[in-house]
Amino acid sequence: MAPPPSAAGPSKPIARRPASGSTKATAAPVKKPPASGTAARTAVKTNPSAERSSSTTTRPLPITSDVKPVISNDTGEEEWAALMRQSYGAGKGAQYYAKGIKTVEDKWQLLPAFLQVKGLVKQHLDSFNYFVNVDIKAILAANSIVTSDVNPHFFIRYTDIRIGRPMRKDQHHQDSIVTPMECRLRDISYAAEIRVDIEYTYEDKLKKQKGILIGKLPVMLRSDLCHLKGKSERELARMGECPKDPGGYFVVKGTEKVILVQEQLSKNRIIVMRDPKDGAVIAECTSSTHDRVVKTYVITKNKRLYLRHNSFKELIPIVVAMKAMGVTADKEIIQLICGSDERYQEAFGPSLEEASRLKVYTAKQCAEWIGLRVSPGQEKEDRGQKLAPSEVAMQALAAMVLGHVLVRNMFFRPKCIYLATMARRVLMASIDEKMVDDRDYVGNKRLELAGQLLSLLFEDSFKTYNSDLRRRMDKILEKPNRATPLDASNILAQNGDSITSAFVRSISTGNWSLKRFHVERAGVTHVLSRLSFIAALGMMTRISSQFEKTRKVSGPRALQPSQWGVLCPSDTPEGEACGLVKNLALMTHITTDVPEGPLVDYAFTYGAQDINTFTGVGMYGRGVYLIQINGSLIGLTNHPKKFVQTWRKLRRAARFSEFVSIYMNHHHKIIYIASDGGRICRPMIIVENGRPRVTSEHIRLLKEGKVTFDHFLRSGLVEYLDVNEENDSLIACYEHEIEEGTTHLEIEPFTILGAVAGLIPYPHHNQSPRNTYQCAMGKQAIGAIGYNQLNRIDTLLYLMTYPQQPMVKTKTIELIEYDKLPAGQNATVAVMSFSGYDIEDALILNKASVDRGFGRCHVLKKQTIPMRHFQNGTSERTAYPSDPLRPEAYASVDKADGVTSPGSTVYQGDVLVHRETPIDTRGPMTQAAVFKATPITHKTPEPVQIDKVMLTEGEDSPLLKILTRQTRQPELGDKFSSRHGQKGVCGLIVPQTDMPFNDQGICPDIIMNPHGFPSRMTVGKMIELLAGKAGVLAGQLQYGTAFGGSKVEDMSRILIENGFSYAGKDMLTSGITGEPLEAYVYFGPIYYQKLKHMVMDKMHARPTGPRANLTRQPTEGRSKDGGLRLGEMERDCLIGYGATQLLLERLMISSDAFETQVCETCGLLGYNQWCPKCKTGKGIVKITLPYAAKLLIQELMGMNILPKLCMEDAV
Amino acid sequence: MSESQQDTRWQSQNPNPMAPRPSTFKAPDVLNYLCADCGAENGIKSGENIRCKECGHRVLYKPRTYRIVQFEAR
Repeated sequence: MAPPPSAAGPSKPIARRPASGSTKATAAPVKKPPASGTAARTAVKTNPSAERSSSTTTRPLPITSDVKPVISNDTGEEEWAALMRQSYGAGKGAQYYAKGIKTVEDKWQLLPAFLQVKGLVKQHLDSFNYFVNVDIKAILAANSIVTSDVNPHFFIRYTDIRIGRPMRKDQHHQDSIVTPMECRLRDISYAAEIRVDIEYTYEDKLKKQKGILIGKLPVMLRSDLCHLKGKSERELARMGECPKDPGGYFVVKGTEKVILVQEQLSKNRIIVMRDPKDGAVIAECTSSTHDRVVKTYVITKNKRLYLRHNSFKELIPIVVAMKAMGVTADKEIIQLICGSDERYQEAFGPSLEEASRLKVYTAKQCAEWIGLRVSPGQEKEDRGQKLAPSEVAMQALAAMVLGHVLVRNMFFRPKCIYLATMARRVLMASIDEKMVDDRDYVGNKRLELAGQLLSLLFEDSFKTYNSDLRRRMDKILEKPNRATPLDASNILAQNGDSITSAFVRSISTGNWSLKRFHVERAGVTHVLSRLSFIAALGMMTRISSQFEKTRKVSGPRALQPSQWGVLCPSDTPEGEACGLVKNLALMTHITTDVPEGPLVDYAFTYGAQDINTFTGVGMYGRGVYLIQINGSLIGLTNHPKKFVQTWRKLRRAARFSEFVSIYMNHHHKIIYIASDGGRICRPMIIVENGRPRVTSEHIRLLKEGKVTFDHFLRSGLVEYLDVNEENDSLIACYEHEIEEGTTHLEIEPFTILGAVAGLIPYPHHNQSPRNTYQCAMGKQAIGAIGYNQLNRIDTLLYLMTYPQQPMVKTKTIELIEYDKLPAGQNATVAVMSFSGYDIEDALILNKASVDRGFGRCHVLKKQTIPMRHFQNGTSERTAYPSDPLRPEAYASVDKADGVTSPGSTVYQGDVLVHRETPIDTRGPMTQAAVFKATPITHKTPEPVQIDKVMLTEGEDSPLLKILTRQTRQPELGDKFSSRHGQKGVCGLIVPQTDMPFNDQGICPDIIMNPHGFPSRMTVGKMIELLAGKAGVLAGQLQYGTAFGGSKVEDMSRILIENGFSYAGKDMLTSGITGEPLEAYVYFGPIYYQKLKHMVMDKMHARPTGPRANLTRQPTEGRSKDGGLRLGEMERDCLIGYGATQLLLERLMISSDAFETQVCETCGLLGYNQWCPKCKTGKGIVKITLPYAAKLLIQELMGMNILPKLCMEDAV
Repeated sequence: MSESQQDTRWQSQNPNPMAPRPSTFKAPDVLNYLCADCGAENGIKSGENIRCKECGHRVLYKPRTYRIVQFEAR
């Protein structure tokens, strides 16, 4: 028998999804450690001794094969256990304490270990995996039944949902995998099939069917569903993928799309703020449930508290709302809100008075009073009967007001307490200014990642899909006599591709427009910038804010102290998005949802008492702290400190997820426990009894690759703190700063910077805006973008011919492997003036260096030519023309297929592809279709080489992609920059003979003007030069890691040892005169980046050329060979000067002069010696005027306005 | 295949053109496209489906030109 179709299913208020299926559920104590080989590799790679500027630097072992080093897991496990016993068990003797005093060397080794498991792009992957593994099942469960409205007997129930992996369905072959590279090349989507299991009624029986396709989900690269997950370098190379590519983006229709991290105010939390208009205190709470998102406010007006909500037409006095929800006694209300504090009671007095003045006393009266003020459209009918006002009110109060606080069986107590808390917070803030919350505090923010956005999108499109399904089902059931019984699986199969197209549309346009959830966002996704490796990586850590860019507010843009360690202080764009677009720091992790059910149980087990059994006096008593889990008050405790300590111990013992945070707020007297997703957190070393729990012994095991970060975590040596809990801890930055009461120790200070700012050597010596400038410019540097860069066919790709890793690197550079995919070269720089072509930051380049390949780059451009199919079956084709119009333009086109071939050089106007389009694309297809030539030619004046010609089958038509290549040397006007925000253009290229040289005959590659230093104060650049010079002389790489790095003193010593001046200055001889220069010159290597702005792409001039059709004025823009505009301001200058003839010449004669005729009598335009109005040719005179003016006159006439031209005598 | 290119702006500014290309090479009648996956040669004619006959991969590359290519090393 079919189970009774329950209509209650979807309408049941579902606050949170069931906890089932969560992998990160409560107690998962000992996870099997992942093969520690990977950790071992980084441990070896990142050279530990190099940082200490020691004399003997061993280069890291070259990784010759991609086979993971085999390390017996058992020994590591045993040693670790032994170590842990030592520090805890009986073996904890004098020896242990002696050891503990020693400082923890190389604790930064935890950072590479951390990056193995979390951080940078891992949050994107975690979020997507959570969606795919957990959330999508929860969404299915919440929308599992589709029942027919016509015959409730018929229903479809979803029982399970699975997502496959990106596969190709092929008639001829076995199903084969689709690689991301194939998708990029073929302009298709990297997507996996979503399949569901269903049960449905079929002829009064319950029929089951498995694996029905409902749509395709774009797959995030390197996520659990992706084929690239866990592949070795060799396998990745086989798939055409770069092993250094971070993943975390999607390939949709061949373009790489990133869903940026979105920053939001946290949901289901009370935020107290001041009204920007009148300064009144407001408490706001955004309740977010699966059904809806609503905002509830408690506001003050005339010293009275009111409840404001969209469901109500007017403000509801807080007391009336409380009474309607069942707290009828004034005393109880005042206790719930004010406790026994007289200041609060006094402040609350007017509110109570007002309620009594309204003459509503009982719960029923209050409900009725509210019911009359429920905004229209809210009242739901109950089976045709109109609800009474009181019922309407109760409905609104239960479901709409503070929707995230559940009301079960009309038990309003939790909601009352919550509302009372809000009111209390408002009272507190109106008495004490400082109690207003900071909206910009990072702890009050949540970051929304790809998984959450996709889950929203899926839920919306799945609901649409189901309503479509229901409609189709009803349509068939409505028919009086059906030939065949209704088979629901057929309907499902025919239900179209709405889910697939929703995903593809949203990701490729970036518009998240979900009416159901009031989500209307544009610009959520961006095309992954492949300008350089850093640009791509930087994009993955970017956070965009919901704030309007145009608003002139400083608060959200300012650097927040709570940003420390989680958001990069340097990496933000300049200009309008300044401070609104942020970047994650190196060690940040963003949490995913952890089910809260078990946490509530834990709380009650460890001393919490149910809040619903207390009155206000009990709740706000001395030393009593309320306990809030994810924004709902669940209990209170008399021993808050002990409670929090116990809780933290449990977490360190891995009794529940490491991402559950707990902290006390002494002002609110609330213990907050948070397990929701989107919190920003980072790991820290736990300090106990003034000693860090991580010792050198632990680090030794880590370095040997025997243990992973996970070991540290589950043994309680390291823990994650979110921003709120961080604020409740005393964290020492360095080990010697540990004092009494210190709870944590930073793993490494330089992790406060992000990946992009981490490239800067010695950033702590620079003026801070310079670091910000470099963050912007590092993304424009030309370099290597990936090991697969030559297999990619991108619209625009800049590659450096001979990239070098920097002489002065940082630990961050090694961690993100910028040294493997660098973007720049170590140039020998002389800081001196030369020739006057170096003013305003211009650089002098050495001609010989340029000839040797300094700053040389490739520019690869793509042309996509789709071979369109038309309705009537005709399609475009390529062919060699029988009688080419310009035979010389077809020099490189092949006779066989009419397409140019790789290796040939193509000049301006040459044909790349001779494409032919059928003339008749509508009518019936005839045997001898007539084609017209639509060739694709090369546009720009510079010749290009053809790099690749690719043919493929696209999504719906064959595709031809042509990759062209140019090799460019640096030329006058090309832009370069060091890593310190010091950009400059090439001002002159000087022959090496004229360059200065030192006693060893060393010539600079670049001469930089010293005036760049005093105002910019980029001392880091000077130290980079010094360290680089020392590195060159000693034959080793130096480090410029933030808050550390090679010391200047050590560098000077190396210089002296090698016979150079300790100050880095050299005596140079002029190459022009042969005389020694009068001053010593600061001379040494600095890492220089070539930026993508090159003169060749910008240079433009036009004597005369094309004109726009409508106005007959010159076209605009370089691509259209346009003119240079003499704009309003330039015009003003000429007017001011009185240069009338020049004005006339610029604005009319050289632009759009037009000779026409005007009738002097009527003032209208005439033609052919004839005035159409006067019907005579008497008054006609010839005039010249701008064509645009003539156009304006005619357009005005078209609008029934008659402009007249009145003639005067002209010269 | 004449080398009589019209003088573009670029050429007028770079007055050292390439040596004229000999035209003694015979253009192939059918081009053997290379499969991006297995490297097999595929003689695809116009109108045919674009897929490798060996492995079914749908990305093919055109082989390098049969003409002489000459660069000026600068």
